[in-house]
Amino acid sequence: MAEKTFYQEYEVFSKRTPSSAFQHQFSLLAPNEDMALVMAQENFMRREPVADIWIVNRKHIRGMDAEEKLTLGRLDNKQYRTTKGYGYLKKKWRHYEQQMLDEKEILSWGGDDK
Amino acid sequence: MSNLSTMTEEEKLEQFVQRIEAGDKIEADDWMPEEYRMALVKLISMHGISEIMGALPEKEWVPKAPSLHRKLGIMAKVQDEMGHGQLLLRVAEDLLKPYGKNRGDLMQDLFKGDLKFHNVFHMETKTWADAGLVGWLVDGAAIITQTNMLGASYGPYARALQRICAEEVFHAQHGEAIIMALAEGTDEQKAMIQDALNRWWEALLMFFGPASKDTTGTSKQDVTIKYKIRTKTNEQLRQDFFDKYIPRILSLGLTIPDSTMHYDEENKTWVYEQPDWSEFKKIIKNQGPRSQARLNLRRSSYENNAWVRDALAATVN
Amino acid sequence: MSSTENVLSPEYKEAVTNLLFQLADDDFLFSYRGSEWLGLAPHIEEDVASSSISQDSMGHATMYYTLLEDLGLGKADDLAHLRPVQERKNSVLTERVNGEGYYMETPQYDWAYAVVRSYFYTQAKKVKIDSLRQSSYTPLAEAAVKVNMELFYHMLHWKTWFVQLLSSTDEAKKKMNDAIELVMKDFGDVFSYGSAKQAIESNGLIASEEELKDKWKANMAPVFESIGMEVPAIPEAPAANGRNGDHSEDLTEALSTLSEVYRLDPVAIW
Repeated sequence: MAEKTFYQEYEVFSKRTPSSAFQHQFSLLAPNEDMALVMAQENFMRREPVADIWIVNRKHIRGMDAEEKLTLGRLDNKQYRTTKGYGYLKKKWRHYEQQMLDEKEILSWGGDDK
Repeated sequence: MSNLSTMTEEEKLEQFVQRIEAGDKIEADDWMPEEYRMALVKLISMHGISEIMGALPEKEWVPKAPSLHRKLGIMAKVQDEMGHGQLLLRVAEDLLKPYGKNRGDLMQDLFKGDLKFHNVFHMETKTWADAGLVGWLVDGAAIITQTNMLGASYGPYARALQRICAEEVFHAQHGEAIIMALAEGTDEQKAMIQDALNRWWEALLMFFGPASKDTTGTSKQDVTIKYKIRTKTNEQLRQDFFDKYIPRILSLGLTIPDSTMHYDEENKTWVYEQPDWSEFKKIIKNQGPRSQARLNLRRSSYENNAWVRDALAATVN
Repeated sequence: MSSTENVLSPEYKEAVTNLLFQLADDDFLFSYRGSEWLGLAPHIEEDVASSSISQDSMGHATMYYTLLEDLGLGKADDLAHLRPVQERKNSVLTERVNGEGYYMETPQYDWAYAVVRSYFYTQAKKVKIDSLRQSSYTPLAEAAVKVNMELFYHMLHWKTWFVQLLSSTDEAKKKMNDAIELVMKDFGDVFSYGSAKQAIESNGLIASEEELKDKWKANMAPVFESIGMEVPAIPEAPAANGRNGDHSEDLTEALSTLSEVYRLDPVAIW
């Protein structure tokens, strides 16, 4: 009888370091949130550093069914949204004797002061 | 792409096969043919429950492990076996949802003898060398079969296997360390490993299953290959095991307890004496040397702790 | 550290040694009993989680045995495996069996006892470790800082189980209360330093028995209050004092099992 009521499914997410994003691990069975949390780390992250853990009761996850996943389809014609569509600027800037400010260059600006 | 709800079963199957052929991963909520679901349920619940049962033979050596370091290592190893059981049973439990079955039902199936566990876990672990040999060669054999399924078409299984195989590498090294210490030790210690190898040899050959269903009447290898759950046959896996382990076993000065064993250069295969497959059939029907003792232990501890699960059921929120 | 060893007075060294054996043997036996549960816990996820605690505890025991080895008392493995029962200084509580039956057959282990013993023991360990962080013996103070790091999880784990089982079914409450009674019967030597009390306390190695008992009670009070219970009384004098080598048959059996392979050849490498 207990078999039918004991188990709730919790999805476990964890962060490796304080600055990293949460990553899905696996799922476990537990009667409640507190117990799920007590089980989570040793079940899935015994050998790796952990900075934080989330547990989410599966009943609170709204996923997609197969038909809904069809809405994820997309044509490969959206270069205008990405830098790929503007690659020709590199040549243009060269003409003005300037370097193109590409993604690599721009994202490096957040680094150390030079 | 046509609307799923209006697709016929044949169209769904065709699309499913196309996805598998394209290397797509099937997920728990996806449509799948009954034959595929059943093959997965059988394979993964057997795999999962084997881990849970497989904890028991090694667990016997946990308190006796002969140093603080070994006590720690074998505890961590048996803990992993339980952890692998957890990962795999979760995958099986999700597949069983359409049938309204859960972990409790799987445990009952085990107790009734409907759910089998691997032949190796029916065997006795007689000495400390057995604890080492299990880690080295049984886990070695398991690594061969499991890595063969890392690319399995069923996503949740493939992901669990990724984690499991990574941990098996530790298990194999834990086993190797025990064996190495014995191999480099006293004469008595060396004799312990040879004795363990002699007793485990047949069980290791059987681990990969019969070469074809002609041997034992049934084999699930065909359907698992068809659905891209695995790629190699039982015999190919057994040969892979020989390739990897025979030279290592010999290098430690051990003797293979099969005088006919040799490598056939022409056919590029190992020739060996077949284990007694009728014995294999008996073992997996829970008539092996330690089958009933281990099932009793599993059952009695499960029943003895039922009040805990009842109590926790009262805390469900 | 050999230099430390040189400057220790014989009396001080004897006090440190005695305390280290108490700490080491406690965690060693506690872990041993925990490890017997491996594969048999009420829930698979819990099996995995609680095994980590047994491993951590064996790790702590190893740290203490290594400190003893550093003091010239012999090899850590010998200290753990070969000392006879009358030389063992663990609390009787840690040596008690998990329940009826031999672990190789079909033992009837009692999860309520496991939860109560583990929770009460871990809380006791926590107040000791908090005090040991200021120990006059620096290597021990340093070890205590490390051990402390892992106790947060052990405490949370066992407290959660303790509170949840005592807030559930009548059957569970009954079993838990029986277990509390059983555990408290053996609690008399947990905070005892045995015949080394004076030496251990006067050398500033760790707080007094009385102070630690009070801290334990104070830490337990809010938890018991939250479930409408009162903290049980610690026996004034232990029925048997493990710190003085006074042990039960349970320990004799445990020692013969845990050293079975090691004793085949104590000088061999395993």
